[in-house]
Amino acid sequence: MTLWFVRGLRRGVVTTRYPARPDPSAASLPTPPAFRPGQLTAGVADRLVAVCPGGALRRDDRVLVYDVGACAACGRCATEAPHAVTSSGEFELAATARSVLIKRIPLRGEAP
Amino acid sequence: MTPVTAEELRETIARQFGRSLHIRTLDTGSCAVCEQEIRLLTAPHYDLHRLGFFFTPAPRHADLLLVTGPMIRAFEVAARKTYDAMPGPKVVVATGACALGGVYPADPFTHGTVDAVLPVDVWIPGCPPSPLALLHGLGVAVGKLAEKVRDLPFTAPDDSERTRGDS
Repeated sequence: MTLWFVRGLRRGVVTTRYPARPDPSAASLPTPPAFRPGQLTAGVADRLVAVCPGGALRRDDRVLVYDVGACAACGRCATEAPHAVTSSGEFELAATARSVLIKRIPLRGEAP
Repeated sequence: MTPVTAEELRETIARQFGRSLHIRTLDTGSCAVCEQEIRLLTAPHYDLHRLGFFFTPAPRHADLLLVTGPMIRAFEVAARKTYDAMPGPKVVVATGACALGGVYPADPFTHGTVDAVLPVDVWIPGCPPSPLALLHGLGVAVGKLAEKVRDLPFTAPDDSERTRGDS
């Protein structure tokens, strides 16, 4: 305690910046999925859309539309198609416009 | 709110409230897990106060409105009153998948999304957003941290980390 007090007086710093060092708990957070476009056929995409409980996924012809804002990171898509979906590891997702949270992921260019 | 005014507002807030920004939380029908994560922000591990953010129980003392939940219609009047009671400049942060329109559809009971009622400036995804995500969102709201999600593609390379995806 005394050490901190003296150190604070010497440095003139009473607070630390946003994160002063990487947070060890961040690695175990459930994070939104990341998709492998090479594995995403239309059939796989339709299965992912069907299991998504929050309506975060939608197929727009040859594109999988992924709404990060609607995603609850439940992991059902990763369970449904583990070869095509992995965890993104991203959690700092704050956005200043709703539209930047909607991602368009191209499908593989062939029928299932 | 037009993007230009939002940008000006953010600059004003970064200048005026750099180390003292007071937050009013507003639960518009949330399941309370977002509230648990918000409460964790004041714990020593995250220590929100070191960054100059404080919680206030009164909207008249607040600069930032942290809204959780899908904005049930019964709460619409209260939400508008809370927003009107806040002095300007003010920022509205929608927190969690409910507030962003992910969990509940618009129906006779809920609006399904916060920006149907309030002008939202910052969106924080997550169900619930972790305290780290909330800290980042608050940093984005006051213009101290950069928005990262705009450049994230949410695609993964095809071959690497196959085992991680299978687990």
